Amino acid sequence: MTPEEGPRARVSGDDSEALARFLREVRSGVEAGADPVTAAGNAVSSLPAVIRDAVEAIIRRLRGEYSEDEWGFDEDFAEAVFPLFRFLYDIWWRVDVSGVKNVPAHGRGLLVANHAGSLFPFDASMMTMAVMREHPLPRWPRFMVLDWAFVLPFLSAFMRRVGGVPASPHNATSLLERDELVMVFPEGVKGTGKPFSERYRLQRFGRGGFVEVALRTRSPIVPVAVVGSEEIYPKVADAPSVARAIGAPFVPITPTFPLLGPLGLVPLPSKWRIEFCEPIDLSEHPPEAADDRGLVFDISEQVRETIQAKVYENLVARGGAFL
Amino acid sequence: MSAGGGRRVAITGVSGHWGSEIARKLARDPRVSYVVGIDTRPPAEPAGDIDFIEADLRSALISRLLPSTEVDTVVHCGILWYPEPGKPARSLHDFNVIGTLQLLAACERTPTLQRVVVRGSAAIYGCEGAAPLFFPESLAGEMPLRTRFQRDVSELEGYFENFARRHPQISSCMLRFQPEIGADLDAPLVRYLSLPAVPTQLGYDPRLQLLDADDATDALDAAVWSDIRGPVNVAPSGALSLSRILRMGGRPAIPVPHPLFGPAIERLGARLGVGPLIGDAVRLLRFGRGVDNTRMRRELGFEPRLSAVAAARELMTRLEGRRIGPPLHPGAALARLAGPGR
Repeated sequence: MTPEEGPRARVSGDDSEALARFLREVRSGVEAGADPVTAAGNAVSSLPAVIRDAVEAIIRRLRGEYSEDEWGFDEDFAEAVFPLFRFLYDIWWRVDVSGVKNVPAHGRGLLVANHAGSLFPFDASMMTMAVMREHPLPRWPRFMVLDWAFVLPFLSAFMRRVGGVPASPHNATSLLERDELVMVFPEGVKGTGKPFSERYRLQRFGRGGFVEVALRTRSPIVPVAVVGSEEIYPKVADAPSVARAIGAPFVPITPTFPLLGPLGLVPLPSKWRIEFCEPIDLSEHPPEAADDRGLVFDISEQVRETIQAKVYENLVARGGAFL
Repeated sequence: MSAGGGRRVAITGVSGHWGSEIARKLARDPRVSYVVGIDTRPPAEPAGDIDFIEADLRSALISRLLPSTEVDTVVHCGILWYPEPGKPARSLHDFNVIGTLQLLAACERTPTLQRVVVRGSAAIYGCEGAAPLFFPESLAGEMPLRTRFQRDVSELEGYFENFARRHPQISSCMLRFQPEIGADLDAPLVRYLSLPAVPTQLGYDPRLQLLDADDATDALDAAVWSDIRGPVNVAPSGALSLSRILRMGGRPAIPVPHPLFGPAIERLGARLGVGPLIGDAVRLLRFGRGVDNTRMRRELGFEPRLSAVAAARELMTRLEGRRIGPPLHPGAALARLAGPGR
């Protein structure tokens, strides 16, 4: 998109006159020897306020004057793609959220959730939407993403800009030490890759690495139950040879993918519920407790059972999967 | 450290940029009584009041020469990221690995020695899509070795570790430098960033941590005077993406599918003098790399003057005036649209 297309599409009448004046001023600025972005910056005052903000934002972006934190999270970019996810959240999946007050309003916190949605798991984005839209003090959570996504072109850059981080205990620890809100999905590929017939049955929680990280950084764990994510791409079969060929962890076959081609990438409009459960406070344990295998497995199992119970509860409360 | 007249320092690779910078700095330092530079060719311009020994680090001769200088400090600046002009990339292995090996052997035979500082590279961590976003020093051994240079650095660090373990009386330190930038620095990465339109790898936007050249010299100087042992990451704080660096300088990116990036940049390199961007830089410009500089700031006590963002901004601002060709800014679209009737 050229910078003006957005604003120009929306203006009419008096506004278009102002826009013409703006373009004339940019033109004369460029002819006077200024570079186009500077000229646009000087001419911006002749625009109506609504457009001025947008043009100024674009100019800041073109100059590299925007916030991008050292982890690669780009808040402007995240806000720009927000409407798409808002549409999915409000209209497509009609997400019903409860217990959002259990998410810490400030300071570190580890959100632990079940993982599903074989082709492209949307649970992290919907949890982000829930925190951003329902929480009295919204904040951008960071989320741990399967390593493979960070090797792929486009997806890697996209994930990083919206707050994704390659899943590793080291990255989770450093983010929590900076008092960030971090989302993890301990089931990992085992959760997203399970067949549709096993939906909502939680898989093994890895080796409990998330508990170690929480203990070491003394972060509260907030279990999160997500319902609806299993139906968006029902995985009915697998294509292991394709997966091996492209190095993917698995390649799902859904009723629509790859049968309908790109159209098969459209997720089914299931009904979602997200419940944030009571936080589990680990501050009674010293950080060294992270080396205590037994304790780590106990806490891990406790979190898993909490999420499993809440998933079943919300499944019953939801009723039909699509209506 | 030594009694009486101040430190006696030997600097290898003294004819290169980093060797001559640190030689100039130490020659002016009143705490230093003697500086000797070692290289295969004399420095282009004399780096102050220093002695010069013409010797090849790759030969065993260095083991006889170094003890006679009676130095107490060795600063090894003989590790190169890029081959010298006209030399094949293969020559780097001999130069970097064998050179370091011979130098460490010479250090073992120098009884006066108390401090060894090696100017190494953060390339040992490699560049991975999925990796810790800020590598701490302890994770060096856990990454796959993918490029020749990375293997070389890993091998010479092995020799270094072995040396440090066997000689606890000598305090030895390995500095792992992130790539350096500076408007006056003649490095392939700087020349790459000064292209009028910069080829990038389609779909990738690496996170970079580029160190200001003055900060790089100051960090090396700080390490000479410190007593810190083992590996230390030398990097600015923070990180930023390549796309943002290019926007800061108003340089448009030309996305090239990544399998073609290497050959494309080589072609361009021959034409525009970008120089060889060997395997490591190609991976760096795909995945990027960040290192944790906590140890440098806390234990070495060195605080870089510029953060990653400030260093990139300074470079791009200073390169602005040196642009070759017309401005191919993305905002040029604005100018075209602004023309009435066009």
